[in-house]
Amino acid sequence: MSSETDQMMRVCPLSQLARGDAMRLETRPPIALFHTEEGELFAIDDTCTHQDASLADGYVEGCEVECPLHASKFDLRTGKVDAPPAKLPVRVHTVEVLDGDIYLKESEEEPNLPPGITVDGHV
Amino acid sequence: MTTAPEKLAAQGTHEKISESLISTLPGYTYVDEGVFEAEQERIFEQMWFCAVRSADLEKPGSFKTVQIGRESVIVSCNRKGEIRAFFNICRHRGVKLCMEESGQAERSFQCPYHAWTYDLDGKLIAAPNLTKMPDIDRHEHGLVKVHIREYLGYVWLCLAEEPPSFEEDVMGAIEERLGDVHKIDGYDVANLSLGRRITYDVKANWKLIIENFMECYHCATIHPELTEVLPEFADGLAAQYFVGHGAEFGENIKGFTVDGSEGLDVIPGVAEDQDRRYYAITIKPTVFVNLVPDHVIIHRMFPMAADRTIVECDWLYLPSVVESGKDVSASVELFHRVNQQDFDACERCQPAMSSRIYAKGGVLVPSEHHIGAFHDWVMDQVGDVVPESSHGVRKEVR
Repeated sequence: MSSETDQMMRVCPLSQLARGDAMRLETRPPIALFHTEEGELFAIDDTCTHQDASLADGYVEGCEVECPLHASKFDLRTGKVDAPPAKLPVRVHTVEVLDGDIYLKESEEEPNLPPGITVDGHV
Repeated sequence: MTTAPEKLAAQGTHEKISESLISTLPGYTYVDEGVFEAEQERIFEQMWFCAVRSADLEKPGSFKTVQIGRESVIVSCNRKGEIRAFFNICRHRGVKLCMEESGQAERSFQCPYHAWTYDLDGKLIAAPNLTKMPDIDRHEHGLVKVHIREYLGYVWLCLAEEPPSFEEDVMGAIEERLGDVHKIDGYDVANLSLGRRITYDVKANWKLIIENFMECYHCATIHPELTEVLPEFADGLAAQYFVGHGAEFGENIKGFTVDGSEGLDVIPGVAEDQDRRYYAITIKPTVFVNLVPDHVIIHRMFPMAADRTIVECDWLYLPSVVESGKDVSASVELFHRVNQQDFDACERCQPAMSSRIYAKGGVLVPSEHHIGAFHDWVMDQVGDVVPESSHGVRKEVR
């Protein structure tokens, strides 16, 4: 194990997340992990910054995920949102694959959660 | 439980009036709301119902909504190109999901009320705060599926929990008319292309339209063009009077066209003994099929009210004919005229159905007696419904 992975959380074997699939990790707050059709891995906060919807249930096209509820799109690389109703970005987390396993390092920024939601869920 | 004849005898319908005449259904069965509601519930919502042409739903997300009995149904194409059908109702608070008759869903069906969102297989994929309600099963609270069969290039739906046998009801109707269900195979109906579609909004009860389609006693009077092409229709015996009989084209008739001119390219699989002949099949409750050597005509009825039926009619030709842009108008025009003539006649019957003169119905002459079997079948389904008009309030004795 490198010192780098020491600070990282092992998620699951890469083989458990097929291309085109996404998974929601029940972290605080939840994180969405995407394996794109092109084979890239991305991790962002799972909860849309507009309303409590899971971005892991959204639609990935290229490097963007569209929220399944109101169609704001978030850039998987930067977390930026393209258009309302969501206005604030989601955080981006570091993902790496080592020895066939997915590792994740959570961003240290403050998350932008929608009204009524805390890192522990509903107020 | 009483058998059909006992029930009919008790109702005094379908009675033999003289050597030549048997009675039709009583007038109220064509106008009474209670009877129509029973038909919706026990016929259209129970049987296999031909809803949509499969080729109309080729793109993922493309959908149509159809009225089957009292229910609205979404028929759509999923991401893999497979057909799916659902009740057009959000599982949350009952909003009608799709208002349009047809359209293109982007990626999902989303309720416009609270944004409950379903994928193209009907699974609930998103809703506000859904992640905080992990006890909501996304399949169980997905859209309610409708049974599907694809046959002859059409999507057939059944709203019943336990659908009846498709083989017996649908394919059996073809077998009954042609004598052998495989006699339709040569027309390769599923692989033909749509040359023309005309939708008719008919102000008549669906049963009047079926009865009209089943007999040809009217042909020489209201269908001059058709009788010119099929001279044997002048004797009043419809192709549906027989088993396995196709009405033969007249001697100088080149094709099944409005003026007897040459038709389009003949469908290669049509057998020698089927050439230059016209076959007609009724598939209860709402489908008519016409087979001629160069095309197939499919009528789908959508009964909307006791006195209103929408009929969608498709003219299907070889794909090469449609792709080449060949003129099919003389071909379409023949049966389009027949349709107009028939539906005019049905609309002219409808108002009299509530007349006291027609309370016991009219009569069927021998060349129409086979319609009696249809009447028996109808009464077997809804013969117990007491008309509202006779009691002021609707009662069911079942």
